[in-house]
Amino acid sequence: MRIRGTLGWLLFAVAAGVPLSAERPYINDKKAPEDRRDLEEIQKHARRSLPAARRATVCLELGGEGGSGSGVVVSEDGLILTAAHVTGGVGRDLDVRLADGRKVKAVSLGLDSETDAAMARIVDEGSYEFIRLDREEGARLGDWVFALGHSGGFDEARGAVFRLGRLVRISEATLQSDCDLIGGDSGGPLFDLSGQLVGIHSRVGSRLPENMHVPVSEFIRQWDRLLAEEFIGDGPFAERPKEGAAYLGLLTKGREEGGLEVTRVGRESPAEAAGIREGDVILSLDGVALESREQLKELLAGCSPGERVAFEMLREGKTEVLTLRLGDRED
Amino acid sequence: MKTRPSIALLLALLCADLPAAQTLPWGHRTDGPEVHAAFEAVREELQACSAVIRDGRDEIQYATVVSPDGYLLTKASELADAGKLTIIVDREVFDEWELVAEDPIWDLALIRVEASGLSPVRFGELVEPEQGEWVVANGATTRSRRRVQVGVISATSREVFPKGGTVLGVQLEEVEGGPRVIEVTEGSGAERAGLRAGDVLRKVEGGEVHSIGELQSALSRRQAGTSVAVTVERDGHPLELSVELSERGDLFEIEPDRNDAMSGEYSERRSGFPRVIQHDIIGNRHSTGGPLLNLDGDCVGLNIARFNRCESYAIPAAELRGLIDSMIASAGSGR
Repeated sequence: MRIRGTLGWLLFAVAAGVPLSAERPYINDKKAPEDRRDLEEIQKHARRSLPAARRATVCLELGGEGGSGSGVVVSEDGLILTAAHVTGGVGRDLDVRLADGRKVKAVSLGLDSETDAAMARIVDEGSYEFIRLDREEGARLGDWVFALGHSGGFDEARGAVFRLGRLVRISEATLQSDCDLIGGDSGGPLFDLSGQLVGIHSRVGSRLPENMHVPVSEFIRQWDRLLAEEFIGDGPFAERPKEGAAYLGLLTKGREEGGLEVTRVGRESPAEAAGIREGDVILSLDGVALESREQLKELLAGCSPGERVAFEMLREGKTEVLTLRLGDRED
Repeated sequence: MKTRPSIALLLALLCADLPAAQTLPWGHRTDGPEVHAAFEAVREELQACSAVIRDGRDEIQYATVVSPDGYLLTKASELADAGKLTIIVDREVFDEWELVAEDPIWDLALIRVEASGLSPVRFGELVEPEQGEWVVANGATTRSRRRVQVGVISATSREVFPKGGTVLGVQLEEVEGGPRVIEVTEGSGAERAGLRAGDVLRKVEGGEVHSIGELQSALSRRQAGTSVAVTVERDGHPLELSVELSERGDLFEIEPDRNDAMSGEYSERRSGFPRVIQHDIIGNRHSTGGPLLNLDGDCVGLNIARFNRCESYAIPAAELRGLIDSMIASAGSGR
């Protein structure tokens, strides 16, 4: 329901044409600043927009060798926009470092492997600093923009690194700016002078000034599917999990009266993490009543790693529903 | 004349493609000449208060004019391997110069040329520049004319510790009870303090260490050149030594990381400063040493390191003022 709430709000804002607080600074319509007044205009707007933008910019820590990326919070309950090559998949656990240094847990939602758009959601309940997505029109070539990101990882004394530049190239699914990016910035936000989110950092070109961003319009286009935890497309930014490689981590035997009795639970398996114990009885998987081990195996073969499944369990005479995320056999 | 129409057609075809590409002309980009033109007043200040240090035809460093009578500050470590250098202040060329003082903590060198009536940097009100403010630094020059590079203050000013951390200067193995010294590195603080193979490290600054990992974290967030109290166990007895720390990269090989690999020529000495301000001006290891000016033309810092492709450090003006006075004073007393 929280998901619905966010989406509904966004659509409402667009449809009702909620008045935009910020008007377009005149400097964006000049070919180049001509004098000190023009330069101060850029500086004034950027600095005014910076505090809120900075508070909503987060670092995503992937754990292990995964390194880190950045993201931006776009709803009070912690919806994050980031890059697909940062989350790397659907349903992955992430640590989020907020601007004030606090660490909270998040899970990755859907991603678009063709444009590099991705979402994640903070799972710790709370009220988070966020920026509103209320852009009415797309960014224009030459607009002054600023990039934020946790370059090279989170550094509390430094904070998110600010870079100023212009939109130097606009093509269908990519924005290019001359705000220089580096590892750790991926997934971080690109704002216009009014503090509106314009794009999400994606990658750098072979030459220095080529810094690529996913336009916000790509997120809006795929909003529902990203929220619904879909893995979209077969592009270069994330590798689609192989069907059949899903891993549950338990052994069962059939029962005459139906259902499967758990005889063993693998150590550190998804089943163990979900709290399944020896002696539990699994009655159904995603609503399909289970009769035999072979049937369970077949159903799992049709699932992908990272997919969420629901088991109806019988434990000490009571039934309960338990959802868990399947692991990857190859890990 | 016959070829004209076909050339015109070709151009038209090329141009027809452009609107779809939607590309901003080079000159209008943030570091393009059209944008630079708006900074002309600051460029004129920069022309007067900065210097170019050349090794033959190569610009190896910029410098900051800090007194009318010929004192200049620059980045010390970049002068180390230099040959016969020429220094250009404004349009004046100096083949003779003298290194008069160095400060290893800030990596500064004070040099002097025989001159008078130079225009030193102005410090204004010494208000710390804030994130988002425009800053201007030296870019590539011609023999007589400085060019600017422009950017913004990009992070909160702060102390930066050596990248890779600090070390005592020993090779260690993990044994029961703590890290044990296998070998003491030549020229290290550990050698000067008298650490020996076989010593087992027990404490750093009074805090117990049980593993190499714990030792490393006890040594993180410290500056090279400072000393720590280290307790070792030698022949069954505790022994306390004071060990001067070194930057890891000065004693051991460090592999460049991914961000280093995409950062071109960054400064060799690029971390371990008591306080820096950070900006986003693109450069390379040779573009440090000069002043960092704001839109008023006031000096807000001295560029001391290019850390990577999007992070550059400058010594804040507040620190710089004190350093100038003390370095000139120490140079004077040495004569």
